[in-house]
Amino acid sequence: MVDPSTNQPPRAAVDVQDLVKRFTSVNGDVHAVNGVSLQVSSGEVFGLLGANGAGKTTTLRMILGLLKPTSGKAMIAGYDVASNPEDVKRNVALVSASAGLYQWLTPRELMLYFADLYSVPADAAAARVEMLAELFDLKGFIDRQCAGMSTGQQQRVNLARSLMHDPPVVLMDEPTRGLDIVGSKRIFDFTSHLKDIGKAVIFCTHRLEEAQRLCTRFGLMFRGKLQLEGSFSDLQKSTGRDSITDMFLDLMEKEKQFDLAQRVTSKTGSSAGKT
Amino acid sequence: MTQANSPINLDQAKAILKTEDGPIDSLRRITRLARKELRESLRDRRTLATLIMMPLIVYPLLGSVVQKFAISRIDTHSPAANLFVDTRLIQEFGGLFPSPSKVQEANEGEPENQPASEPTISTNGSSATDESATRQDLIGDLTRQILAGQSPLNSAEAAVKLEAHPLDDVVDPEEFVREGRVADVILRLRPPSKDQEASERPLQEIQILCRSNDPFSARAAAEVERRVREFRDGAVRSYLASTPAGANSMPLVTRIALEPSGPKESPLSAFVPLMLVLMTMTGAVYPAIDLTAGERERGTLEMLIAAPVSRRSLLTAKFVAVFTVAVLTALVNLTAMILTLYGTGFDRVLLGEGASVGMFLQILTLLVVFASFFSAVLLCITSFARSFREAQAWLIPLMLVSLAPGILSLMPGVRLTVGLSLVPLVNIVLLGKELFQGIASIPLFVLTLTATVIYAVFALRIAAQVFGSDTVLFGSHASIGSMTKRPTELADVVPMKLGVGLLAVLVPAFIVLAGLRSHLVAPENLSGQLVLSGVLTIALFAVFPIAVTLWSRIRFASTFAVRPFKAIALLGSLLMGATLWALTYEVLLFGKGTLGWTQLLSNPKLQELAQRLLSDTPLLLRLLTLAVIPAVCEELFFRGFLMNALGNNSKAWRMPLFVSTFLFAAFHVIVDQTLTFERFPATFFLGLVLGGIRLCTGSILPGIAMHALSNGLLLSLMDLEPLLSAIGLNLDKEGESHLPKWFLLSAFLTALIGAGFVWMGRQADPKVAGSNNSHPGS
Repeated sequence: MVDPSTNQPPRAAVDVQDLVKRFTSVNGDVHAVNGVSLQVSSGEVFGLLGANGAGKTTTLRMILGLLKPTSGKAMIAGYDVASNPEDVKRNVALVSASAGLYQWLTPRELMLYFADLYSVPADAAAARVEMLAELFDLKGFIDRQCAGMSTGQQQRVNLARSLMHDPPVVLMDEPTRGLDIVGSKRIFDFTSHLKDIGKAVIFCTHRLEEAQRLCTRFGLMFRGKLQLEGSFSDLQKSTGRDSITDMFLDLMEKEKQFDLAQRVTSKTGSSAGKT
Repeated sequence: MTQANSPINLDQAKAILKTEDGPIDSLRRITRLARKELRESLRDRRTLATLIMMPLIVYPLLGSVVQKFAISRIDTHSPAANLFVDTRLIQEFGGLFPSPSKVQEANEGEPENQPASEPTISTNGSSATDESATRQDLIGDLTRQILAGQSPLNSAEAAVKLEAHPLDDVVDPEEFVREGRVADVILRLRPPSKDQEASERPLQEIQILCRSNDPFSARAAAEVERRVREFRDGAVRSYLASTPAGANSMPLVTRIALEPSGPKESPLSAFVPLMLVLMTMTGAVYPAIDLTAGERERGTLEMLIAAPVSRRSLLTAKFVAVFTVAVLTALVNLTAMILTLYGTGFDRVLLGEGASVGMFLQILTLLVVFASFFSAVLLCITSFARSFREAQAWLIPLMLVSLAPGILSLMPGVRLTVGLSLVPLVNIVLLGKELFQGIASIPLFVLTLTATVIYAVFALRIAAQVFGSDTVLFGSHASIGSMTKRPTELADVVPMKLGVGLLAVLVPAFIVLAGLRSHLVAPENLSGQLVLSGVLTIALFAVFPIAVTLWSRIRFASTFAVRPFKAIALLGSLLMGATLWALTYEVLLFGKGTLGWTQLLSNPKLQELAQRLLSDTPLLLRLLTLAVIPAVCEELFFRGFLMNALGNNSKAWRMPLFVSTFLFAAFHVIVDQTLTFERFPATFFLGLVLGGIRLCTGSILPGIAMHALSNGLLLSLMDLEPLLSAIGLNLDKEGESHLPKWFLLSAFLTALIGAGFVWMGRQADPKVAGSNNSHPGS
């Protein structure tokens, strides 16, 4: 497997180098993401963790090409987001708890529609629908309109839909938000399944315990930066803590101290430092 | 989750997901995408309700209401007005007219004076008990005489039936009419005033009392008055007949109502197309919202944007769906309407000889084109919205705006002209009206359709840019509150929001303030008016935008494109400015010749104004206020600020150029007190050239020079007349004559050379590289 554009040896399915996103809003600049680098290979589940507003979703959106990064580079399956956005999108599935369904369509129609969006050939799409219907147990209602379905059924349809084009990379944006135990369990099973079949998964969440159970590697994001990164044992060694939550609390405390120090220096320092 | 895929192979996956790139493939794909949108819309009961139920209910209902109304207008059994006749008038009636016996004779001798239907005379039973038989007779006689007016001249004029009753003088007659429970009209002799001596003979005056706010009472009173006057005239004539002068010494006054020749304009013939257009709109509204703002609300938009499909194809698919629903609605509406017209018998009134299949098809074509236009506009607006509710809120102003031209076209006598056929909606409604009347012209039919299709394409392109753009998708970072906060960093680019907002404030402000001008300075003081409008232009189009951009810390030079330019570009611009006035003049003349131009130059008031401008104001002041100031300010605003706000990407120069030029031309149409659509082509042409110069040179300065020179030359034409006629150019004041061909040709060639110079002097915007490989050759 050789990268088509550079002829370099194979690299990780997701390769992000120093991504920066600065929003130039009317209120001045906000660094939503400030120099994030990460690699995820096939069969890995990378937990991108952080509180709300840490920059997780912005990072995902840049990886997917929905947002243009201020600087930095993101490669998916060997394609550069900046130059080949369509190829990148073709190789990624986005799973999000907030995703909805077209209530007047049946799950089958919905899945075929997404197959169309991803240019999956018709015969392959039909076979894929059968396979996914089996996998997610949709057979009972696959030809009924989505409007009357239960939350669990809708969730399963949504997961099946996201895999219609069988992408090598799956981005999961807060997939368990607002779900009950059964729903969350289904997401965990789904994620393990993805890992088993060799997908590269980025799992974004602010629920640290569930990530701890599920992910093979972790990145702790805080204020737009990936502060800690590695497998759980790596992190245990470097922080001396036993749970991700504790690591995170340490991180916040450290930042607070850092902030105080910054404020003192900026008050005493020159005001023309920033432009 | 038992079944597992084999580990993925990236190359294999890529091979499976190979893109379909051919035009046929992409067309097929859009068709498939559109099928989903359509399926989604048509399964929705709410769409079906507006599509089928509304027309099926509305038209028959409306038809029967109109029918009832029309019938009740010619109904002979309409309620009669209660006329109370003063008993004093009855008693003294004989003395009021000279030689009543002769009057009697004359009346009997003129049978045509008799009404077609005898006025009914009835007396109130209870009050009649104490009336003597002679009095009854007297009243009957009197009302027969007085009220025997002619029958109405044509059937359209509603006849008022009157029922006469005697009025005893015990009642306060004025209050009796005012309270309006029984009496509608009182006919009485003027009562003697208090200071009048009893012996004195009262003034001979017959009074008719009615209620001022009651149309029924007023109409009855008018009818009574007409008949009384007629009776008096008859008396006068018969009196005259007895004198040596003879009856014919007084002229007869008669009214003859004629059937109009040419198209019969029934108010329905404009109302029906308007109705069809409005109903077509309602059909498209729901799917348009559902397929754009609805995607966002359901949380499906992010999934769509994450898919490798261009927004343009997504939106094209949505457009096809909305358009189809709109056309279906139009079809159902048209069918329901024509059936209703047949059913109620209105088709003869409306269509003259009746409907033909050809007319049905023509109107259907019209509605189809309109549906495409309106679907595109709807998608354009609803794409901005973040929710269903917001979309609905956005659409209300659109509906109101759409109603205005519709109502304009309801006015009788408004015909479709070339100018009007370029105005969206107005053109469709007017064309529909003329198709119904069978007087539509084919060139205007084609022009209207073409213009509408072009607008639709434009709207769709804007929609594709807006739909799912990331500010909308991920929530705008600027709220109302943050708008009032001042940014800390310098920028080179005007946010489109700021540009649109400023425009939305400026145009109404200009219209209102321009209207105030005559309050500040007397309209006769033309110099004062000129100075005032100059100040207004500077304040609104230069000072205001400059202040706003400086406050927003956007660099002046890049916002307004005030940059150095090459000398040759200036030379080229001046050459164009010196010659383009002649071409503009011809475009104006073209407008005049074909656009049904009647107002602008041949309007005596405007001519007089132009004459007074010439004689009352110094040329220098005119040049300053009508050429230099507008040139500077309009270039700053339209070619500088607005073009920057509309697009900062030098590769996409078309949208900023055409939209800013369109706004420029539209502005000139609107600011005139009368809407002069005829000016549009000329201004659009000028704006296009100016925009082209701005794009070529990267600066507005050469454009200012050209604009000022061009305006100035047009203005000083009259002053230059002797000079011009010396070289064989005759311009009469009505602006009727064309310029000689040799002059036009040389002007055109010089302009081309000027354009060539501008092209040679082209340079890229310093901030954006690569703008010189794509720009129009003006």
